[in-house]
Amino acid sequence: MATSLENPDELDERERRALETLLKRLADDEFVLAERYTEWQVRAPTLESDLALANNAQDELGHARLWYDVLGDIGFEERELVYERDPADFRHSTLVERPFEDGDWADAVLRSYLYDAAEEIRLESLVDSTHPKIADRVGKIRSEEAYHLEHAQNWLERLADGDEGHERLQDALDRLFPYAFTLFEPVDPDVEEDIVDLGLRDATLEEMGEEWLSIVVPYLESLDLELPADGRVGDGTDEFEFEVTEEMLPEERGRDGTHTDAWFDLYDEFTRTYRELGRTETTRIMDKPE
Amino acid sequence: MDLDTVKDRAGPREFSPADDLPEEYRKAATRMIEFHANSEIMGAYLERPFIRQAPSIDRKLACSAKVQDEIGHGQLLYRAAESLGVKTREEMLDDLANGDGKFLNCFHYEMTDWVETPMIAFFVDGAAMRRQATLRRTSWEPYAHAMDKVCFEEGFHVKHGEDILRELMSGSKKEQELTQAAFEEWWPRIIQFFGPTDDKSTHHDFAASVGLKQQSNDQLRNAFLDQYIPKARSYGLEIPDEPRIRELDDGTYEVEEGDLDWDEFFTIAKNDYEPGVGQINGRKAAQEAVQWVRDTIESDATAAGGHAPQAAD
Repeated sequence: MATSLENPDELDERERRALETLLKRLADDEFVLAERYTEWQVRAPTLESDLALANNAQDELGHARLWYDVLGDIGFEERELVYERDPADFRHSTLVERPFEDGDWADAVLRSYLYDAAEEIRLESLVDSTHPKIADRVGKIRSEEAYHLEHAQNWLERLADGDEGHERLQDALDRLFPYAFTLFEPVDPDVEEDIVDLGLRDATLEEMGEEWLSIVVPYLESLDLELPADGRVGDGTDEFEFEVTEEMLPEERGRDGTHTDAWFDLYDEFTRTYRELGRTETTRIMDKPE
Repeated sequence: MDLDTVKDRAGPREFSPADDLPEEYRKAATRMIEFHANSEIMGAYLERPFIRQAPSIDRKLACSAKVQDEIGHGQLLYRAAESLGVKTREEMLDDLANGDGKFLNCFHYEMTDWVETPMIAFFVDGAAMRRQATLRRTSWEPYAHAMDKVCFEEGFHVKHGEDILRELMSGSKKEQELTQAAFEEWWPRIIQFFGPTDDKSTHHDFAASVGLKQQSNDQLRNAFLDQYIPKARSYGLEIPDEPRIRELDDGTYEVEEGDLDWDEFFTIAKNDYEPGVGQINGRKAAQEAVQWVRDTIESDATAAGGHAPQAAD
C-alpha cells in the first residue's frame, strides 16, 4: 500500500482523498499566512524588520507552492487550487486568515510564533511520510521554518519586556489563541484517520496538538503572558497541564470550510486582477519542479 | 579639501568618508542620494498592493521580492547618504514622513490596476537603470558601491516588468486595450522622469562639476527613448501623439517640451500634488502606527547602553 502512493495513477479513492486533504491543509495554511504577512511590507517598524518579514512571507509562499505542486501530480492546476477555487473550500486554519489591525506588530510576531511552533511539529510528523515527494520537501522547508521560529521568539522577548509591548501581546494572545487551536482541527475525522493509517503523516492531530501546547504554554507563561483560564486542568501543581475544550474553539475553524468574514474579503482582493482581466489560466505552479 | 581641489580631483569613486570634503559637496551629495533613497521607499509603497493583486503565485512571489529589494535599496542608500555626515537616516525618514523629503515624480501618481505595473517595473525602472548605470562612476564612493548591488537587482525588476508587459500584450483584446490606456497615461510622466531639459535644470552644473552626476538629463532621456521606443512598439504599444517626439539626424530625440505639463511636474517637485500627498501621508500613518515598536527597541538599546539590537530584525 505504501509504495502505491508514489504513483498517482494507482491511488484508490481513499488514498487520493487523504493525500489531497493533507496537502490542502499544508498548502492553504502557508499561502494564506504569506498573504497576510505581505501586508507588513513597507509597513514594518524598521527597514530591517521590513526585509525580514518580507523574507518570511516569500518563504511561506514558496512552501505553499511546493505543496500545491504535489497536488499538481494528482491532477490539480493552480487556477483550481487558488484563483478559481470556492473560498469556502480552502482548508487553512482560521488563525492565518485573521486581519491585522494597523500597527499591531505584536499580533504579527505572536501569530508567527504560534504558527511556526505548530509547523515544526507538523513537519516532523512528515519526515518519514510514505509519500516520497512529501518526505523530500520537508527537509528544505524545515530549515527555513526553524529560522522563522527564532525570529518570532526574538521579537516576542523584546516586546514582552516593555509595558506597551507586553500589553499588546496579551491582547493579541487573547484574540489569537482560540484560532490557533484550529490548527489541529480535522477537515473530516475519517479522512484524518486515513492520513495517519496510510502513513502519510505519523502523528494524529490530537498528538500534535498536545505537543504544541506542551511547548507554547510554558513559553508564553515565561513571558508573563496569561493563558485562558478555562484551559487549565488538574490541581495546578503541574504548570503544563492545559487542555483545549470544545467551548474554547471559535465558531469558524477553517479546516471544515467555515471561515471568518475577513477571509472572504481577502479572497476577493487577491483574485481581483484575475477576475477583472477575465483570466482563465495562471502561470504554472512551478517553473522547474524539483 | 577646498572646492577647487574637489573639482580638480573629481572622478569615478574618487571620494570616501576618509576625505575631508567641503560642505557644498557633502550637501549636494546628500540631497542627491536622499532623493534616490526616498524614491526607493515611495516606489515600494506604490507597488505593495500589487503583491496581493498579482494574478498568479509566481507573480506574487516576484512582486513581493521586488518590493523587498526596493526597501533594501533604500536601506543601502540611506547608509551611503548618512556617511556624508549631513543627515542621519532617522532625519531623512522623518523628513519623508512629514512631507519635506523629495522623491521621483512618477511615484507621486496613484496606481490602481495591475495593467499599470509594467509602467513602473518596465519603463520607470528601465529609465532608472539608465541613470543608475552611470552612477556607478559617481565620485562619492559609497554611492557608487551601492549602485553595484542596486543595478544588479534592478536588472531582474526590468525583466519582471517586461515579462508582465509581454503577457498582457499577448493576452485578450481587453488586456491589450487596458494596457495601451495605462501606457498613454504614464508615458508623459515617464519622459518627465528625466526632468526638464538641461538649460532649465538647476542642480546639474554643480553636481556634474564635482563628479556626482555623470550624464545630463538630455543625454539620459535620449538614451532611454532610443532604447525604449522600439521596445514599446515591439510589444504592440502605440506611442502617443503627445508629447511630440522628433528623431533627429544624429539619432537623438527631441521632445516638444511644451507638450508636457510642467506645472504639474513642479507641483510634484514641491510635494504639493494631491495623490502624492496622499501617498506621503499614507506611509506616514503606517509608520506612526508602529512607532511604539521603535520606542520599545530604543528603550531596549538605551538600557543595554548601545545600539539597537539587530539580531531579531
